[in-house]
Amino acid sequence: MLAMNFGADGAVVMSGRLDASQCPAALAFLEKVDGTVTLDCRGLDYISSAGLGVFLKTQKRLAGAGGKLRLTGVSRHLQDIFLYSGFDQIFEIEPAR
Amino acid sequence: MTGTVTAARSFPRSFDSLDEIFAFTAAFFSGHGLDRDLLPTVDLVLEELFTNMVKYSAGGAPSIRLEMAPAPPGVEVTLTDYDVDRFDVTLAPDTDINLPLEDRKPGKLGLHLIRRLVDSLQYEYSTDRRESRTTFRKTGARKAASGSI
Repeated sequence: MLAMNFGADGAVVMSGRLDASQCPAALAFLEKVDGTVTLDCRGLDYISSAGLGVFLKTQKRLAGAGGKLRLTGVSRHLQDIFLYSGFDQIFEIEPAR
Repeated sequence: MTGTVTAARSFPRSFDSLDEIFAFTAAFFSGHGLDRDLLPTVDLVLEELFTNMVKYSAGGAPSIRLEMAPAPPGVEVTLTDYDVDRFDVTLAPDTDINLPLEDRKPGKLGLHLIRRLVDSLQYEYSTDRRESRTTFRKTGARKAASGSI
């Protein structure tokens, strides 16, 4: 199950599992944001390549308008996935503390 | 599969099967006392392989068989797909992950990823039976990524 909402600091907070079945809902949520957006991934336990596609589509859309998607609170597992995907080159990524 | 199969189940050829597959793997890890830190990687590899079968072998049998055997602290997993054409996942080309953002396109990352996340990945195909078997092992050693964040 995936949950998404806005945190007190305006960041998008994503928690749970972003698998292929959750991608339509995740993309629909992210299509509502503009500018430079922080995505708090502290509670994100799982992402598949379908979920990576959601992040990439959002990044391309935001970058086209001068914004970007920042990924924060990224776990060791997710860091590995982002590195193997080359996302470390196209996203600003802040590891979990 | 080289290990002893200790759990097996068939899942409908549908994206809707993912939740049941994840419940199955979680129960297997708990039941065998395996390292739960490996579970997200095992689930990811399974999702990529299974959804590939759903997308590209729509004319195959109604269900796909999943077998799991402990390979402490991890697992060996086999997916068997029936009445399908050959598609050797070990031969799929890598994706160019160094392209700039404007040239990157969503997709094509699944097989690229799993080859980097598992200890081994094997593919067998029986032409007579039109049966595809994909086996992977994940036993714990995290491969060194090419850098760090």
